[in-house]
Amino acid sequence: MSNKTVVMYGATWCSYCRALKKKLDSIGISYQYKDVDDPGIRAEMNAKTENNQTIPVLFVGTDYWINPGQEILDAQFSNNYTDEDEQKGEKTLHDVIMIGAGPTSLAAAVYTSREDIETLIFEKGVIGGLAAITDKIDNYPGFEEGIEGLQLAEKLQKQAERFGAKIELGEVQSLKKEGDYINLQTTSGEMTAKSILIGTGSEWKKINIPGEKEFYGRGVHNCATCDGPFYRDKKLVVVGGGNSSAQEALFLTKFAKHIDILIRKDKWRASDVLIREIKDNDKITVHFNTTADEIIGGEVDGMTKVTKVIGTKNDKKIDFITDGIFVFIGLRPVTEYLKGSGVKVDDKGFVITDKKLKTNIEGIFCAGDVRSGATMQIASAVGEGASAALSIREYLGALK
Amino acid sequence: MKKITVYTTNTCGYCKMVKKWLDSKGVKYNVINLDDHPEKQKEIYEKSGALTVPVTLIEKEDKTEEVVIGFNLSRLASVV
Repeated sequence: MSNKTVVMYGATWCSYCRALKKKLDSIGISYQYKDVDDPGIRAEMNAKTENNQTIPVLFVGTDYWINPGQEILDAQFSNNYTDEDEQKGEKTLHDVIMIGAGPTSLAAAVYTSREDIETLIFEKGVIGGLAAITDKIDNYPGFEEGIEGLQLAEKLQKQAERFGAKIELGEVQSLKKEGDYINLQTTSGEMTAKSILIGTGSEWKKINIPGEKEFYGRGVHNCATCDGPFYRDKKLVVVGGGNSSAQEALFLTKFAKHIDILIRKDKWRASDVLIREIKDNDKITVHFNTTADEIIGGEVDGMTKVTKVIGTKNDKKIDFITDGIFVFIGLRPVTEYLKGSGVKVDDKGFVITDKKLKTNIEGIFCAGDVRSGATMQIASAVGEGASAALSIREYLGALK
Repeated sequence: MKKITVYTTNTCGYCKMVKKWLDSKGVKYNVINLDDHPEKQKEIYEKSGALTVPVTLIEKEDKTEEVVIGFNLSRLASVV
């Protein structure tokens, strides 16, 4: 940046203004702040911005931007970023570190960062979590035509970042409360936080049958949006009787010529809408009272591939000739990093909280799919994230 | 200079994360989209031994290759 004067127009009641101030302060920019609640200042801003009525406005010299995003700040002030700034991040005491950037944490981060609570989110996989790799989400309110998982994830991310939340691509390996604060070992170094939100959600369960491990990624898959395109005009088996299994099977019909869905019970656990869509799809055959017992493969066109799934249908052995198998048989909580933390989990490994989403350890909160009693719905995860954020705010207020 | 290729499909969220991570490190890479080039499936299998995406292929200066399957941050960070 040259030596241009930096001026910001804003107001104390404006959350975007608070977020921008915070960003400028963190970069170490020297700027003049002008409050538009003063009629004279407001008139001055209007005159300089062709009667713009929106704040915040940032002037760098004579150029100005209304509510500038990170890319504008990077372009204008990147010379002010130093290695020291970057290193400082590792040493800083964070207000809240959220673990897992799924819908839960992203929603919580909208609330915390909008309230000036400094927020860092860790994500070791996909921003948006399992929601991001779901083809289409039809039951998330506000999108009457449904929305692609990846698109929803991007919207949630942008909304959280708009208020200043930061997302770090890395993994929290362990955490431990020491004194008032929580120490974390991460792939980005050691960190300390005043509060933690556990929002690591869940991941697909393995089916644990012979052949699963051997052919994983070579015919055995958990991500239809990733690996579905490998099965153009091929035959597939999908295992599972819930919403995810139904939704992903429908997605896979874009590629596969036929799909056998194997459901252990005698009926679906999926929603009626999806069941109707499945019934109307002539590429899909549903097999109730059917288990997948073994995955068989061999050399096909010079590649090791799945060729058959041996199952049991109504107590009789049955072969499903197939090119691949996608498994969606339920979710397990992601909590490995909590070992040694003292955070209590239930007999299935889900984190136990009270009604305010507090765990048994002060300052550590939990919400979303990883929480004991969660409904495994994106809308619920988002709601729990918001509730957790309010509890975190209350906790941090009392801590000061 | 290392040559990096990311094999992807159109709807793959993990592929997007690999590209995002490489972008954040200022690393240049080629993308082979297997939806557009299904004929490259054999190539990805030969390189990775699997039919799954994302796969990141890192060809080093000494002509040796490293293959990273999935969005595996620690592996990517160590070889890119």
